[in-house]
Amino acid sequence: MTPRPRVLALLVVAFFFALPARAAEPAPVRFGLTAVVVRENVPFYQAWSRYLAQKVGRPVQFVQRRSYREVMELLETGQVDFAWICGYPYVRHSDQGFFDLLALPEFEGAPLYRSYTIVHRDSPLEGLADLEDRTFAFSDPDSNSGYLVPRSLVLKLGKNPDAFFRLTFFTYSHAETIEAVAEKVAEGGAVDSYVWEYLARTQPQLTKRTKVISRSELFGFPPIVALRHGNRDLNRRMAEAIIKMNEDAEGRRLLRDLALDRFSPPDPKVFDGIRRNAENMKARMIAIPRP
Amino acid sequence: MIRFRHPRHWSLLAKLPLTITAVTAAVAFTIGIAIITQERSRLEASIEERALVLGRAIAATASEAAASNDYWAVYKTLRQMTARSAGGARDARILTAMVLDPDGRVIAHLDPGIHPLGRRISEQNPAEGALLRRALEMRTTSVIHGGAGFIEGVVPIRSGESIHGIVRLRLSTDEIRAQTRSATITILSLTFVLVILGSGLGAIISNRLVRPVHALAAAMDTVGRGEVGTVPAVAEHTDDEIDHLVGAFNRMTQELSEKQKLEQQLAVSEKLVALGRIAAGVAHEVNNPLAGMLNCIDTLKAHPEDTNLAARYLPLIEKGLNRISTIVQALLVELRAEGAEQFAGGQCLDDVRELILAEIGDRKISFEWENRLGDDVRLNSQKVQQVALNLLRNGIQALGNAGDLAFRAYLDGDAVIIEAEDNGSGIPEENLSRLFDPFFTTRSSGTGLGLWITYRLVESMSGTIEVQSEIEKGSLFRVRLPGLKIAPKEDWEI
Repeated sequence: MTPRPRVLALLVVAFFFALPARAAEPAPVRFGLTAVVVRENVPFYQAWSRYLAQKVGRPVQFVQRRSYREVMELLETGQVDFAWICGYPYVRHSDQGFFDLLALPEFEGAPLYRSYTIVHRDSPLEGLADLEDRTFAFSDPDSNSGYLVPRSLVLKLGKNPDAFFRLTFFTYSHAETIEAVAEKVAEGGAVDSYVWEYLARTQPQLTKRTKVISRSELFGFPPIVALRHGNRDLNRRMAEAIIKMNEDAEGRRLLRDLALDRFSPPDPKVFDGIRRNAENMKARMIAIPRP
Repeated sequence: MIRFRHPRHWSLLAKLPLTITAVTAAVAFTIGIAIITQERSRLEASIEERALVLGRAIAATASEAAASNDYWAVYKTLRQMTARSAGGARDARILTAMVLDPDGRVIAHLDPGIHPLGRRISEQNPAEGALLRRALEMRTTSVIHGGAGFIEGVVPIRSGESIHGIVRLRLSTDEIRAQTRSATITILSLTFVLVILGSGLGAIISNRLVRPVHALAAAMDTVGRGEVGTVPAVAEHTDDEIDHLVGAFNRMTQELSEKQKLEQQLAVSEKLVALGRIAAGVAHEVNNPLAGMLNCIDTLKAHPEDTNLAARYLPLIEKGLNRISTIVQALLVELRAEGAEQFAGGQCLDDVRELILAEIGDRKISFEWENRLGDDVRLNSQKVQQVALNLLRNGIQALGNAGDLAFRAYLDGDAVIIEAEDNGSGIPEENLSRLFDPFFTTRSSGTGLGLWITYRLVESMSGTIEVQSEIEKGSLFRVRLPGLKIAPKEDWEI
């Protein structure tokens, strides 16, 4: 009968050791992402999540969804605490008051980027106007550079963006838009200049099969936003952790991996261009006569 | 010049290895063909299955995306499913793959540059057009054999009862050809190796089989020449049928040689018996006149003064001595002739004619002589002359003072025939069997040695002698001498 008390003792010891360990593991911070900006890169996200967890004192869990719409829903319903979204959904939802700007990525010296119109390297097309009645790849219906900008450019040509292209589809990733054009699935596509330049550096064999035939004006870079009703202290710590990434070696290494200079404090004015475009589009689309 | 001979006449040394080689090659080849055929249909079935499995997988994965015209998702599915590895290059065995809507418009194609999205798929040729129409009519998963190096799997994309697209997946059958070629090469080289092994093995086996057979044949030839005693024992190898044959042959030759030895011993003892008989005959023949002569001499010694007695007995003594002398001379002739080995042409017989004519003298005997032997026939002259002389003298004695005597010598094939015929008293049947016994005679003055000597001479030349005789009609003696050496002629032929 001796083994029984021994087993019991072991269980009690195990219980006491397990309890503090569980208590020391706080609920993770959830961070929403799409593949629109950066493609799946598990080692990078692990390193970034470890870095941020160390800074904010809680584990950080990245939650990736296919489209901006899904990420916005996660944010709206409070399922994520933070999200890296696009300027277009930002301006569309900023007046609804469920999130705040947290930080703006700086790319080539400013929190700004463009939309590139690309075609296959061997394509004879020279501008957006040549893409009429052709196949075209958008990234995400909520993307500024990959959807709103090319459509507003078509509008500027005096054409109906819904009828200009023969056939369009969404790739839900700027990188895959480049791939679709490189493989001639689409004759043209609209991509984030940051992603194209980033891939031109890391995967030149892909971007080399495409060429940029038009560059848009500058727009506000996709921002990082925080849940307005979330933990204020956590939001503050997260903002500080992200904005001060360029102040330590590990943070700089992560920024280098992202091809960004730094994250800067929020400035809503950079999204004015997108806001104007969006409003213009809304007004014009309503005005277009429908059969 | 080497002439082709019918395989029937070939040596076993060639036939056996060739047969083994041919059988090996045929078996290897047949099995090879069977394997290739089986392998081909197995490969074809596996390609069909792969086409269908891949097609179904694409249809299942792309179904929702195809329904909502999510072209990029469908294309990605197509690309992933046809990649050799995850994210790798396209599998070379997949010729083409596409997803079409029910009207034949491209939802996704592996070659998007050639077949643009949303456009009806272009038909490169009428055959392709027919295949496309067939594929579009498919309501169930099926396989189309293109015939020209591909197998196509067609899988409809269904949602409930309606079909909103089809997946076409075309797989190359080059694999089958390549596999068949490599299998053929393997089988041919295997056949080649087996042929070499088979012929080598065949050569060894046939050598083992044929060597004792050759030895046997050589040994049999030796036996055929009558040299039983000198046959070398054929080596025995194993315990097979040939070995049994060799054993049986060796036992036979051994028994033959023992029999021959026995026969030789028998011949020697027969000779000794004959010699004893002759010695006894001589003693008896000489003893008879000796007894009479000794009687005469005793009487003459008892009455030396009686001249009448001398006049009466001396002729008797002379007669007795003459008889002894005749017997001794006849024996000497026989001994001389038996050892003679002097050869001459057929005309040497003509000497006998003169002697016989002299012997006939003035008796009323007509003598007919016919010698058809030329000088190309070689005869043991002394023996043959003696034979002819003895037979003719015998004929003269049978005729007495009148009658017909004939001599004939001619060739019968290779054999020389000598005949002596008379129309004298003939020989009684009871005497025929003793005719050639020494000292057998029916005449008081005969020695009984003439025919015996003739018989011995003929026998020494490996000949035969036969007698046809009828009482009061006459006798015919025929001597046949076979295997005489014939002198070479000009038109010699093989």
